[in-house]
Amino acid sequence: MTVLTELGGPDTAPGIFDELSKREVRRAALSAVAVPGYQVPFGSREMPVARGWGSGGLQVTLAVVGAGDRLKVIDQGEDAGVNAANLRRLVIGHVGCEEETDARAATVTQSRHRIPEEPMRADQVLVLQVPVPEPLRGLVLDMREQRRMHAEADYARMWVGLYEDIVRNGVITRSAGYPVLVEGRYVMSPSPIPRWDVPKLNGAAHLTLLGAGREKRIYAVPPHTRVEPLTFDDVPFEVERTEGARCRHCGNDDAYLVEVPAADGTALWVCSDTDHCGRFRAGDTEMQGGHQ
Amino acid sequence: MGYSGARGGQEAIAAAERLVRDGRDGGATPRLGVDQVIERLRLGVDRVMGEGGLWAPDLAARAIRQAEGDVQEAAQLLRAHRSTLPRLAYSEPVRAEELRVVRRISSAFRNPPGSQILGRTLDYVGRLLDLMPDEAADAPPAAAAPPHEGHPHAHTHTRDEEDRHPPRLLGVLRNMDMLVERRTAEDPEPYDITRVPARPGAPRSARLTAMARAETGALVHLWYAYTFDPLKHGHEIPGEVRHGWLPVRVAHPLTGNPVQVARVRATDVETLDDLDRPEEDRTRLDAGYGMCFGHNERKAIAMAGMDLLVHRDGGRTSLDQYVLVTLDGIESAGFLEHLKLPHYVDFRSTLDRKRAVRKASREAAAPDRAPAHAGGAS
Repeated sequence: MTVLTELGGPDTAPGIFDELSKREVRRAALSAVAVPGYQVPFGSREMPVARGWGSGGLQVTLAVVGAGDRLKVIDQGEDAGVNAANLRRLVIGHVGCEEETDARAATVTQSRHRIPEEPMRADQVLVLQVPVPEPLRGLVLDMREQRRMHAEADYARMWVGLYEDIVRNGVITRSAGYPVLVEGRYVMSPSPIPRWDVPKLNGAAHLTLLGAGREKRIYAVPPHTRVEPLTFDDVPFEVERTEGARCRHCGNDDAYLVEVPAADGTALWVCSDTDHCGRFRAGDTEMQGGHQ
Repeated sequence: MGYSGARGGQEAIAAAERLVRDGRDGGATPRLGVDQVIERLRLGVDRVMGEGGLWAPDLAARAIRQAEGDVQEAAQLLRAHRSTLPRLAYSEPVRAEELRVVRRISSAFRNPPGSQILGRTLDYVGRLLDLMPDEAADAPPAAAAPPHEGHPHAHTHTRDEEDRHPPRLLGVLRNMDMLVERRTAEDPEPYDITRVPARPGAPRSARLTAMARAETGALVHLWYAYTFDPLKHGHEIPGEVRHGWLPVRVAHPLTGNPVQVARVRATDVETLDDLDRPEEDRTRLDAGYGMCFGHNERKAIAMAGMDLLVHRDGGRTSLDQYVLVTLDGIESAGFLEHLKLPHYVDFRSTLDRKRAVRKASREAAAPDRAPAHAGGAS
């Protein structure tokens, strides 16, 4: 006879998440790895952060980290931002793993809106927070129709939308969260990472797990998976790049830079990846600059 | 650089927490007791339990106090607390007849079987701001005289158990053959929206669960917006609005027999509407159902109305989807509040595209100077 408390699973640190729920998230993550780019529905739990503040990434991270991990949490590329600091202390307080800011030393990195500049390795996992997982939402509102389109790989409307964009505007105006085709099958939203980061997903050595808490979806890009931004043969995919812009701190012109506007309309630029910026200044990075 | 300066995110959030704690728990007045919140802010506690999806007056009161009276934030606290608890068992189904009413009214019949019980309601308490000085209000109340004392028809009896379990009006209407048959065998087990995300096409039990946990204001708004559908004439009439106690039973782990482990208060509404569309049964009425934790008639009535509206919509519009995915207060508020998070990275990407469009239009205007790969329309 099973005692009810045994069904509850092993004791965990109090707060946040019970053990059965973690198992459910792991099952969803495994399904996601098995079908790259497919959004796996899961019974997303409410987390001690507002829905939309990384509750999906948090559930995935909690399901994959153990006490022996080194966890890096970034928001907009920064380790020190208030949101990153808050999520980091939640996970570390719950799991007891080590805090890490060096992208090379982290075993698990949870991120909002960025992939670290330093290429990730096979022994590292990237968890991306996702606000809106459905790449078709801007095209069709009806969720039944969205599912049909994914099931039948019917992405004609997506292509027409991109074509119309070029006709009207001369360029594809999609900014962050650029739609990608995963392993030639599913169109996927890579989360609102800049276009600059999209090529890092293609054929990557590491596993990327994407968690959308409010929308209750988990999806994945397993290692060595083809990830191609949707574009046309004669219209090259363009990443963010501004002529002459370089980081005012480290001088790097081959990293994702964000603008620091001055009151007179001019702007300076700084690296968004603060960990990489600091190491670039100190000459402590393998990066030669890989972007075109 | 704003609120994500070089280091110190950790220090900043710790300081923000301290300001919240000092303001809330300090101050000149005594700390608010949980029992006070339960007793004096009953409707707020009920609303938080309903939207939080957890019957726990004590925890809901704590949440309200912790959230400084913000009921939506308090509901989020309850939801997050739920996530820390393992799901050990499902309770046994309870029949609506088992609701032991403390209030029961019908807008459909003057004298429904089982009679009307007005009970505790603000409906007929004058909506006048009570300006009595606190000292006078604090004085012990004079013992209230029983109504109509000394009158030959003095109401001194209390209601007996039979009055507390009036027959449901739906049964009465079925006996009158005035209802279309809505009960189907297609949805035997309640759909657990907390374990399987509900999507359009999900069974009625998923919609009802989603609405039972919905944000009250959002539900009322959606009902109000859709109730003036041009295809619809008039409004529904609540056959029954009930507030009372329901038993919670689970199967005993050893014997397998159902045992009562708790009781909860709930508001339960059956609402009736004329079927007046050409394709509908013009000889009968249809009924919608609403129910939520605690005493929240506004919500239960809106829910019953929405249940009918979605059914009668029959998939013609996206109403089903709106009900399933837009009414949750924790989700809508969470998404709205996430706008406060930094978006430097995607904002830069957006500015980049604005400049790209300008460059493309300049190059289109001067085609001979355009490079080969302008990516523009020629």
